[in-house]
Amino acid sequence: MQQVRDIVIVGGGTAGWMAAAAFAKVLGTQTHSITLIESDEIGTVGVGEATIPPIMQFNALLGIDEDEFVRETNATFKLGIEFIDWRKPGSSYFHPFGTFGANITGGVGFMNYWLRWVQSGGDPDFTRFIAEGQAAREGRFARVPAPQDGQLPRLNYAYQFDAAAYAAYLRRFSERRGVTRSEGRVVDVEQNTETGYIEAVKLADGTRVAGDFFIDCSGFRALLIEGVFKAGFDDWSHWLPNNRAAAVPCERVEDPTPFTRSTARESGWQWRIPLQHRTGNGYVFSDSYISEDEASRLLLDRLDGRPLADPKILRFTAGKRRRGWVKNCLAVGLSSGFLEPLESTSIHLIQVAIMKLFELFPLREINPILIDQYNRETDALYDHVRDFIIAHYKVTDRDDTPYWHYCRNMTIPDSLAAKLELFRERGEPRTSPSELFRETSWFAVLYGQGLIPRSYHPVANALSEDELQLALASIRTAIRHRVDSLPSHADFLERCCSARPTATAA
Amino acid sequence: MSRRIEQIVVVGADAPAWMAAAALHSSLGGAGIRVRVIELPTLLQPVDAYSALPELGGFLYRIGLEEQLLFNICKAVPIAGQRFSNWSGAAPPFLHGYDRPPPPGAGLGFTQLWIKGRQKGLRTAFENFFLGAMAAKAGRVPVAVQGDELRATFGYNIDASAYSALLRHFTVQGGVESKAARVADVETDGDRITAIVLDDGERVEADLFVDASGPQTVLIGRMPGAEFESWRQWLPCDRMLVASGKALRPLPGFSQISAFRQGWLGLFPLQDRTAVTAVYDSGEISDKNMLDNLSTLANLPIGGDAVVSSLCQGARRRTWVGNCVAIGESAFSLEPLDAVQLHIAHFCISQLMTLFPVEAGAFPEAELYDRIIRRAAINLRDFQAAHYKLNRRFDMPLWDRCRDAALPETLQRKLDNFTARGRIPLNDDETFEEQAWESLLIGHGVMPQSYDPRVDALPEQDHIALTQARLNDIVGLVDGMASVDEFIAGADSQSQKEAEAFG
Repeated sequence: MQQVRDIVIVGGGTAGWMAAAAFAKVLGTQTHSITLIESDEIGTVGVGEATIPPIMQFNALLGIDEDEFVRETNATFKLGIEFIDWRKPGSSYFHPFGTFGANITGGVGFMNYWLRWVQSGGDPDFTRFIAEGQAAREGRFARVPAPQDGQLPRLNYAYQFDAAAYAAYLRRFSERRGVTRSEGRVVDVEQNTETGYIEAVKLADGTRVAGDFFIDCSGFRALLIEGVFKAGFDDWSHWLPNNRAAAVPCERVEDPTPFTRSTARESGWQWRIPLQHRTGNGYVFSDSYISEDEASRLLLDRLDGRPLADPKILRFTAGKRRRGWVKNCLAVGLSSGFLEPLESTSIHLIQVAIMKLFELFPLREINPILIDQYNRETDALYDHVRDFIIAHYKVTDRDDTPYWHYCRNMTIPDSLAAKLELFRERGEPRTSPSELFRETSWFAVLYGQGLIPRSYHPVANALSEDELQLALASIRTAIRHRVDSLPSHADFLERCCSARPTATAA
Repeated sequence: MSRRIEQIVVVGADAPAWMAAAALHSSLGGAGIRVRVIELPTLLQPVDAYSALPELGGFLYRIGLEEQLLFNICKAVPIAGQRFSNWSGAAPPFLHGYDRPPPPGAGLGFTQLWIKGRQKGLRTAFENFFLGAMAAKAGRVPVAVQGDELRATFGYNIDASAYSALLRHFTVQGGVESKAARVADVETDGDRITAIVLDDGERVEADLFVDASGPQTVLIGRMPGAEFESWRQWLPCDRMLVASGKALRPLPGFSQISAFRQGWLGLFPLQDRTAVTAVYDSGEISDKNMLDNLSTLANLPIGGDAVVSSLCQGARRRTWVGNCVAIGESAFSLEPLDAVQLHIAHFCISQLMTLFPVEAGAFPEAELYDRIIRRAAINLRDFQAAHYKLNRRFDMPLWDRCRDAALPETLQRKLDNFTARGRIPLNDDETFEEQAWESLLIGHGVMPQSYDPRVDALPEQDHIALTQARLNDIVGLVDGMASVDEFIAGADSQSQKEAEAFG
C-alpha cells in the first residue's frame, strides 16, 4: 500500500466535522486530501449538547478562541450535572467537574475524612466541599486562573452548546483550510478484491470518491464499518434499557444555569441543557415501559418554557461496535457505538477516537498491530463509561415503577459489581489513570445515588477531632472565598462572549 | 460481629520488614493500631547493597526519616540512571536515566520528534536528549535548577545492612515492639491464620499478618491458593554472586550493568566500595568459575568476601489470603536489575496502606490487592525480560535461547506497538513509564518505523531548532549540577546532627 494521502469522511454532523477540522489542522490539506461527504437529505442527530472538560483540549488543538467558540455556538458554561429524583423522588445531588475537598495531611483521600465527619453527625451535603458544586448552586461562574499558591480551589468547566452550530462552525473552519465537501448520498462501495480495503464510495449522482482511508461518521447507519465490514455490535440494552429519546427545544425563561440538569422520570430521565438563546430538553426512555407518544406528551408538559418545535424521536440501542477500526476504515461517533447522554460523553468519545487515530495514524501501511491496539484501548474506555452510567440506574432506592424495579434488580457487569462492593464497604472508588471518570465522579454519583459507605480508611482516624474540624473549616472557607469572588454566570456570559443576535438567528 | 483492626504483626527481616512496620505505624499508630515485628534472622551479608529507585526518597519522607541519613550512615550514592553495556554486540552502551515525565498537557512527547529526526539523518543518541541520562553520564546529581520540560531525579545505591539497621532503629524508637525469633508453626483455620508459634513457644495472635520474610515466604507460602509461579522462561538466570571491590573515584552517577556470556554483571558504586553482583545461569557456568572470572569481568580487584545464592524469579498466585498479606519478595521476586528490589517492597506496602482493611472481618480488599500486585509484578517482569529478549549476543547459548523465547503477550504488545509507532501502551500499575520503556527499547536497538503525524505539522527548520535547543538546555542544566562527590559532601555536613542522634 502507498502512503495514506486521501482521506474520505462519510457523514457530516458533529462527528464528521470534528474529524474534518482536526485532520485539516493536524495533517493539513497540502500533503493529504480531505473530503467530507454529506447529504442535506439526511438529518443529523445533534441537539443541544453538553460536554465534559476535555473538550477544551480538542478546541486547543484546533487553535479555537474560546470566546469566539462560545459566541458562535450559543454556548453556556457547565460546572457539572444536577441529578434530581434519581435516588428517590424528592432527592437531588450534584456531580461536579473538579475535586472533592482538598488534600489533608495523612495521605488518604479527602472523602475518608469527610465520611468520618459525616458519620459523627456532619452535614452529608458534599457539594459544600466542592467549589464547582457550590458555584453551580449559586448560579455563578468565571474563568479563574490556576492558583499559584494552592490556597484557592480552581474551577473546572465544560460547555453546553448547540451541536448543529458547532458542526457548522467546524465546517467553516475546515473548508477554509481546504477540506472538500461533497454533497450526496453514498449508494455503493468499491473494495479491493484482494485486501478488502475500501477503494472508493459512489454517490447517488454517480460521482466516485476514491480514498486511502475512510472515516465512517454515518451515524447509526454505520454504512461502512457495519454495512461493508460487519464489525459487529455488542448490545448493552440489558444494562441500559433506554432505546428512545424525545427531544425538543424550548424558550429560555430564565438566566441559563451553569450546569445541566437530569431528572429521573417514571421510565427514564429528562435532560435540560440551557444554551444562551434557548433550552434543550429531552426524555430518554425505554419503549418497553412507555410509548413514544406518552413520553413526548409528558416531555411537553414538563417544559419550563414554550416549545420551539415538535418533539423529535431518536431511536437507538445502547452498545458498542465490536471493532471500531477495520482495515482502512474507522468509525467515529454514533457508528462506533451509543451510550445515552446521561454523563455527556458522546462528544468526548468522538474526540478520543480522533486523537487516538492521530497517535496511530498510518503514514504508510496500515499496521494490524496498531488497529488491535486502537480497538483494545477503545474497548476499555467504553467499558469504563458504560459501568459508570449503569451505576446511576443500579444504585437507587427507586422501586416506584416497573422501569425502576427492573433497573435496581438487573444483573450488572462483574467489573462494576466489584467496584460497588468496595465502595459500600469502605468508600473506596478506586479508579485507574486510564479511566475517564475518576474518584470524585464515582464518589459523587454513588453517594448521591444512595450507596452510603459503611466505613472509611482507618488512617482518617489518626487526625484529632480538633485538627479535623480545622482542616474542614479551612477548605470550606477557601471554597467560600472562591465562590464569593465570582460574578453570576449570566453576567459573565454577557461580558465575555455573548452571542451576536445574527448568530442566534442562524 | 466485625470490628476494627487493632493488632498487626509483621514477620520478616531486613529493610522490607522494617519499611512495612514503619509505614504502618506512622500512618496508623495515631488511629490506635498496634504494630509488632517478629524479626527473623537476617538474610543479608556485609557485601550486600540495595539499588533503589527515586521513589524511595518519597517513602522516607512519608515515614519521617531524613533522606540525608542514607548518605551519612548508609554509604549511599545518588544514582541518576542505569548504564547498560555489552548487551548488543558492538552497539554502544546506553543509559536509562531517571527523567520525570513532562507536565500533563505538554503535548507530543519528544520521542516522536526524535524518531522523525532519526529518519531524516539525525545521529545523536536518544539518551543525549534526556536530563537524567546526561547527568548520570557526567557524574552529576540532578537536583536544584531544572527546566519546565526537562526534569530529572535520582535513586540510591545503599549499603543493605546499614540501611536495615537504620530503619530498625528508627522504627523501634518510634514505638514499634519487636522480637527476634523464628517461626516454629503457623496455626490456621481455613484460609485464616489464627496464630503463629515462635521457636520459644510464644503464641502470637493478630488481626492481620504481614509476610515480609522474602523468598522464604514463612506465612504466605502456607496459605491455600498462594502457589509459586516461576518466570524462569523469561528470566533464565538462577544464581547470584555478590562481592565487593574498591570504591570508584570519582564516584560515577550511574550503576553499570554489563552482559557477559553467561549472564550479567552489575557494578553498584557505594561511598566505601563498589558492590559487584553477577547474575548467571548455573547451567552455563559454575559458581567457582564465576568467582574466578569475576575480577576480570568487573575489571576490578574483588575482595574475598563473595557470597553465592540462588534466584527464583516468579510470583505467588495470591498475595493476600485471609488475614495474611505478602509484601516485597514474599509476593513476587525478580532480578536485582533496574533497581527494583526495594521498590517491590515499597510498592506492596503502598498498596496495603491504600487498601488497609477497615475491619478485621471478610477483607473485601484482598481481591483488589491481589489484582494490583499481580499487574505490577507482570509489568516489572516484562521490563526485565525485555533486556534478555532484545540482546544481540549471537552464538552464545544463554543469549540465543533468550532471543528465541516466546514473550508474554503483555510484553509482545509493547514491543510490537513501539516498533510500529514508537508508542508504549502502558498498563495499569506500571512502575516504569513511557520514557523508561523508550530508553530501554531504543537502547536495545528497537527502532520505531513510524511516528505520530502531528510531528509533520512542525516545519523542518523548527524541528531542527527545537532539537538543538533541547541539547543545549541539557548541557546547561547538567553544568549547574553538583558532582556526586560534592553532593555527598554537602549532604554529609547537613545531616551531621541527625546522625549523632542515631549514634
